[in-house]
Amino acid sequence: MSLASTASLKDQPSMLARLFARQELALLACLILVLAFFSVTVENFLSVRNLTNVLGQASLPLIAGIGCAIVFISGEVDISIGSLLATIALPLIIIMNDTNSLLVGVSGALLFGLIVGVVNGYLTAYAGINSLIVTLGTMFIMRGGVYLYTGQRAIPDDASLDSFIALSDGRLFNVIPYSAVIAIVLLAAFAYMMQHRPFGRQIYAVGGNQEVARLAGYDVRRVKFICFIISALLATVAGIILAARVGSAQHTAGLNFEFQVVAATVLGGVSLAGGIGSLSGMALGVLILQFLSNGLRGLGLPTEWQLVITGMIIIAAVAFDEAKRRRANGG
Amino acid sequence: MSVDFLHPGEGTAIDTDVPALELRGIDKRFPGVVALDNVDFTLEAGKIHALMGENGAGKSTLIKIMAGVYGKDAGTIRMRGREVDIKSPRDSLKEGIKVVFQEIALISEFTVAENIFLEGYPTGKGGSIDWKKIRADSAALFNRIGFNVDPAARTGSLPVSQQQMVEIARALAHEARVVVMDEPTSSLTPNEVSLLFTVIRRLAALGIAVVYVSHKLDEVFEIADTVTVLRDGRHISTRPIGEHSNDTLIQDMIGRRIDNLFPRKRGAPGSKVALSVENLSTAKKLNDVSFEARAGEVLGFFGLMGAGRTELAKAIVGYDPITSGTITVDGSRLLPHDTRTGVRLGIGLLTEDRKSEGLMGELPVYQNASLASLGAFARLGFVDKAREHRAVQDYVDRFRIKTPSLFQQVKNLSGGNQQKVLIARWLMRGLKVIVVDEPTRGIDVGAKTEIFALIDRLAGEGLAVVMMTSEMPELLGLADRVAVMCEGRLTAIMSRDEATQEKILNAAIG
Repeated sequence: MSLASTASLKDQPSMLARLFARQELALLACLILVLAFFSVTVENFLSVRNLTNVLGQASLPLIAGIGCAIVFISGEVDISIGSLLATIALPLIIIMNDTNSLLVGVSGALLFGLIVGVVNGYLTAYAGINSLIVTLGTMFIMRGGVYLYTGQRAIPDDASLDSFIALSDGRLFNVIPYSAVIAIVLLAAFAYMMQHRPFGRQIYAVGGNQEVARLAGYDVRRVKFICFIISALLATVAGIILAARVGSAQHTAGLNFEFQVVAATVLGGVSLAGGIGSLSGMALGVLILQFLSNGLRGLGLPTEWQLVITGMIIIAAVAFDEAKRRRANGG
Repeated sequence: MSVDFLHPGEGTAIDTDVPALELRGIDKRFPGVVALDNVDFTLEAGKIHALMGENGAGKSTLIKIMAGVYGKDAGTIRMRGREVDIKSPRDSLKEGIKVVFQEIALISEFTVAENIFLEGYPTGKGGSIDWKKIRADSAALFNRIGFNVDPAARTGSLPVSQQQMVEIARALAHEARVVVMDEPTSSLTPNEVSLLFTVIRRLAALGIAVVYVSHKLDEVFEIADTVTVLRDGRHISTRPIGEHSNDTLIQDMIGRRIDNLFPRKRGAPGSKVALSVENLSTAKKLNDVSFEARAGEVLGFFGLMGAGRTELAKAIVGYDPITSGTITVDGSRLLPHDTRTGVRLGIGLLTEDRKSEGLMGELPVYQNASLASLGAFARLGFVDKAREHRAVQDYVDRFRIKTPSLFQQVKNLSGGNQQKVLIARWLMRGLKVIVVDEPTRGIDVGAKTEIFALIDRLAGEGLAVVMMTSEMPELLGLADRVAVMCEGRLTAIMSRDEATQEKILNAAIG
């Protein structure tokens, strides 16, 4: 009897698969809706120049968002990325001013990012402290550190290396900003890892059910530890690009950046509870918010209103998601 | 030497002279409890070995030690004669020990196929996952087992019984030398059970040592070659199944004689019905349960793991929704899913899970005790602290709750005293019926007697006590009547004089 009933279940997965595909499809539809609306209401919104500009602006939250989403999927959070963005400019600029070498500067910055990732990851995964608290702490420490070190004055990039400046205004084929190219390459690479490498699946498993992952022989702590390192390194990459744009190390760089990224990630369907979501969803979330903000600015709406609208959209999106999930689980 | 269910021809012949797995002198202690005491357990390749015992006998602990979930305090583990050190599930899996736990251990967001290969993804060139192979191999595996489910289905969307089968299939996808199944049939349909038995026999034929944990006697007689019985953390017997009858197995499981450990002080129960439950059913577990509990009576419910005691407890106090039936407390109807009315009518639950459902550990004793009756101490909407403290102090004295002061955080009290605080909470509210679920779980032996005395006294003061328990001595020592449950149904109600351990266990096995 039960064997016969299993046959009727056969169409269930495809239905569910469609439901989950729809998550990204719905986001895509949302994005198209935003684009369509502003293409009518805002002049030159759909111009190549404006589109590629937005893509360039989106590259920072896209790059940092990869790390944010991965940490979320592992079942933790990392809100130290905004402060890291500002902090990372210090070793970068100071070393470049000293050595006149982009390579050495970037290496120094990455090493610094690695250390931050190790600290966040160790305190969370091995010392067992709640990741919200840990990264809140490192967020304050780094921000305070930058204030103290700079004395609230910008430290200019005196080396002015061509290769470094190209990071801010260079464009591939004179069209796509390099920063967007970097974001797309990283996104593709990490999306592949999350879906097709055993480690990526381990992250999903750990976030989905930690105890099950442990019973399956996974080193849960190591997986989480590495996720924090990935997140810090990606935020470092974003920080390097930001420093190139600003041309200096500044104490206010990346203020509230972490919340911008968290908002886009959550809008993209990545669950704070872990185990659910995808990098493509996160990317769509980032693009929706970026184009929305760009379009609203085009309409002449003040930034304050953008904040209000962004906030409402995020709550609506997550509420919608939650309702859908509840229905799917028959609750 | 290992065997892979998918590629059965590829393993070398299994050497049956050396035990596949040998545990010697295993000790395991938890705070206040000796879970395993010098236990030996030997598994032969190609044999099906049943592990039996009452709740708390140590079966789960022994399995968890094999699975690497718990470390052992003493003893040795040998795989085919070679001593091994199992410190984590990873080590255990590496040795080819596959444990199928009773609780579903699958990632519900993953597809069935991915869950099958969770512990080791097959990878192609460059170390990327070979999804094609995963789908093909899981389909082939299901085919071999005769298990009909779509490998591409999202695991969480399957009914529990199919998830259980997926878990069993997973144990077979990788090389295994020992497969342990903990109550594998608890949520399977009869068809699936016979499917499972075919699979188990095939595993054994391939030379895998199978451990089958169950309390269902008929299953054990059908499938097992050998039976080991544990009781109170000790090894009692290991015999070929042919040497056992129902009676000898039950005898081994019970063993002890129960003397009247708990001096009974209360008189005979009254005749007034305090709680009446008729034809109660719930969506998940309970099936047409009817009974009455009288004022001054202790009605004990016994059942093995999964019998539905906790579910019954939660339903009759109005905590869980029910699908049909009526609950009447002291003459008034209690609608389901309404604890507020439940408390007003005078029925309260002493939960089995004190930490998460009962106490607020950080708060002081007095606040924990007065929680349900703050209204009674209120004056113009403010709690009169002095009255509140006096009332709590009164209970602390009467129940002899050992606490340095009313202001001590309740988490710092012993288990027995915490339980007394919870009882005080309900009595302060003025109850007519108290439902106690596993009242002595996690409480050491000395304090148990005090809790028993307290329950005896509550009944003596005219309360109806409905006690859910999995412990025979508790049941026979305290209850005026014994009700037995099996798989959500009430299988027997007997008076204290009629009740024997054999009768009770027989009714519990169903």
